[in-house]
Amino acid sequence: MSDPFALFIAPFGEFLFMRHALAACLALALGCGPVGMLLVLRRMSLMGDALSHAVLPGAAVGFLLSGLSLYAMTIGGAVAGLLVALIAGAVSRCTTLREDASFAALYLVAIAVGVLIISMRGTSIDLIHVLFGTILAVDDPALILVAAIATLTLFTLALIYRPLIVECFDPDFLRSVGGHGGAMHSIFLVLVVLNLVAGFTALGTLMAVGMLMLPAAAAHFWGRHFWSASLIAVVIAFFSGYSGLLLSFHCNLPSGPAIILVAGCCYAFSLLFGAKGSLLSRYRSGPHLTG
Amino acid sequence: MSIVTRIAAMLLGLFLLDGTASAATPLKVVASFSILGDIVAHIGGDKVQVVTLVGPDGDAHVYEPTPADAKTVGNADLVVVNGLGFEGWLDRLIKASGYKGKIIVASNGVKPRTMAEEDEHEHGHDHGHAHGDSDIDPHAWQNIDNGKLYAKNIAKALIEADPVNEAAYRQAETAYLAELTALATWAGEQFAAIPDRQRRMITSHDAFGYLGDAYGIQILSPVGVSTASEPSAGDVKQLIRQINKEHITAVFVENISDRRLIEQIARESKVAVGGALYSDALSAQDGPAPTYIDMFRGNVEKIAGAMRQGR
Amino acid sequence: MPAITLHDLTLGYERHPAVHHLSGVFASGTMTAIVGPNGSGKTTLLKGITGFLRPLAGAIDRGGLKPKDIAYLPQHLEADRSFPITVLDTVLLGLWQEIGMFAGMQRTHWDRVAQALFTVGLAGFETRTVNELSGGQFQRVMFARMSLQNAPVLVLDEPFNGIDQQTTADLLEVVRRWHAEGRTILVVAHDLALVRDFFPQTLLLAREMIAWGETRQVLTAAHLDRARTMSEAWDQSAAICRQEAA
Repeated sequence: MSDPFALFIAPFGEFLFMRHALAACLALALGCGPVGMLLVLRRMSLMGDALSHAVLPGAAVGFLLSGLSLYAMTIGGAVAGLLVALIAGAVSRCTTLREDASFAALYLVAIAVGVLIISMRGTSIDLIHVLFGTILAVDDPALILVAAIATLTLFTLALIYRPLIVECFDPDFLRSVGGHGGAMHSIFLVLVVLNLVAGFTALGTLMAVGMLMLPAAAAHFWGRHFWSASLIAVVIAFFSGYSGLLLSFHCNLPSGPAIILVAGCCYAFSLLFGAKGSLLSRYRSGPHLTG
Repeated sequence: MSIVTRIAAMLLGLFLLDGTASAATPLKVVASFSILGDIVAHIGGDKVQVVTLVGPDGDAHVYEPTPADAKTVGNADLVVVNGLGFEGWLDRLIKASGYKGKIIVASNGVKPRTMAEEDEHEHGHDHGHAHGDSDIDPHAWQNIDNGKLYAKNIAKALIEADPVNEAAYRQAETAYLAELTALATWAGEQFAAIPDRQRRMITSHDAFGYLGDAYGIQILSPVGVSTASEPSAGDVKQLIRQINKEHITAVFVENISDRRLIEQIARESKVAVGGALYSDALSAQDGPAPTYIDMFRGNVEKIAGAMRQGR
Repeated sequence: MPAITLHDLTLGYERHPAVHHLSGVFASGTMTAIVGPNGSGKTTLLKGITGFLRPLAGAIDRGGLKPKDIAYLPQHLEADRSFPITVLDTVLLGLWQEIGMFAGMQRTHWDRVAQALFTVGLAGFETRTVNELSGGQFQRVMFARMSLQNAPVLVLDEPFNGIDQQTTADLLEVVRRWHAEGRTILVVAHDLALVRDFFPQTLLLAREMIAWGETRQVLTAAHLDRARTMSEAWDQSAAICRQEAA
């Protein structure tokens, strides 16, 4: 094999699009680590994929009003995603229906409405393909969007960290001390939607949802505390991005799937050999301690 | 006149009347997509009423027919399609509509080129199309000689379906073929003036293979034929290197695909994106490519213009 | 410290009453055990008092107490036991009124948490995560949190279920200390012997009040017999209740 510099560093030095892609991976990893961890802990792991469909009616309205304008469709998609997420959250708080069912009901309706709106226009353009990007085509506006969302996410999470954790851990307690659990949950949902929509438009569905869930699922097997698990998730996410990009560069694999496959391998490795709760730890042999 | 003669004259008169009466109602023709619709309109004139299924700026590769389409096809006198696997959704639509008439394949007689010829180009891609025959390139109309074949086939079909207006159709066909021939000559001159080395272009859609074959243009593409396939960083890297090394100046996006990747490549290799080419569909009436001839001329102008700026 | 007064209170689900027409007072500073057979509405009553359930009829007068003044330990904690949170952070939540959503933790807070853990016999458990605790240990962590809440009213639903005897004795000690500090305490319990030994006041419930007052006078054989005849099931063909307040 040729020298390690050429293998691991040079591609990013030589090509602007690789540098942009790596920067986007970093921004995405920072935002997705903690948000993904919260989604896993709250059993909302499938929400990301459902949300990628829920943005359709908003994008369709944007398309109706402004044609194939990416700005209009992205904003429309974000609004639609926010509406679905917030209404689903409200329904699950005010009725006996749980979050997953209320979300499922809403996103299915959203898809139907979206298809209806598109067919009104008469053309058969696959809006989602036009709207969702690829990490190799991250230009400055897209990079700034992802970075801004990541910054906002980290800042907001740092601010509402305590009540958000309690809302996940013991919501009745939070309610009894008057801790605005509903507001916390809604803020969290807004962060999820923003991260996802920014991810979709900059990087495509697979990467946005994949980077949200896979590193968090893997980190689950290593981190004992929430903050340590989130940090591990960030590291795994960035590592997946970096390695996936290099694989795509040297071995001509499609970029998005390559990154997600690396993340998947990290997950498999963690599942088997992780420090806590993994398969290995169940069968780990070794002398026990005195106390 | 005797009774028999009078009756015969009346009957003859009735037949004649009948003939002229049917000549007054236009032939209902359904064309699968906008380019075919345009050719039919040029040859049929006011003798035909054309309805196009996949309209301007539409993507016939991913088109999903509606019940209204089934009704339209059901009422048609004649259906014109491209063939070569372009309309994967056609069989189901014909069955659903109950149409029992003639289906004219405009590409009859065309020598098809296969996608396999792309291997000599440096890119990896896969085909997201639902092709009937997955390796055949259906975009035959990008070569004017094939366009002339289309016109001839369509004229023949119109004459067969509506023989009363044969003269009108023949006249229109001749005029149209003359226009197409002039166009082909002009295009040939445009490209002949460009040295071999500079006759290369980059576009995101593998739709210009026939054009490339006709005028010796080498076409490179970073992604596959449909927007569903994902690019690899290695492909993008090779393309950028090649652009830089060989000073390719003709970089184009297509009117129905994702432009961002092409723009990224253009940005990195410091080449300006040369505008949108029209490959699978015409533009709207007020757009730059409302007819087949306008579309072809516009494409050639843009491509040749960009190539001429070779560094 | 105000009392909690119940006025002809009816609590239930979908118009079927779990507790019927209950009236009475939990006087300030009292320690009351709430007992009764299964399904007699004890948990429902606690949910009503803590504000988690709206009354079907009647009213609860909490004497100006706000929700944060009533500390509640439910029977089946909705808390996620597998959440990666430490014992320290969990107990620290008891100081919510002081540190709120944003304030940082100081040395004094740490000390108070350590003291609370020591009181329930879990000294040194600060850094353990809750998913590593046994049922009894988790219950004691909840007690520690409750003691830090410094609430005037404490409501506990079957807190000694599934706890070993030593732990039960330890926790009763904590409850006794709360009572000595003048707090009002309501505890749902099953163990009548424990109730007789420990609780000065008792409310005997069987979907309606059987008896309420001094423990000795409430837990008589006659009252307990009457409680046993209560029907646990909801009557699907019941008419609208027009009973006057008792």
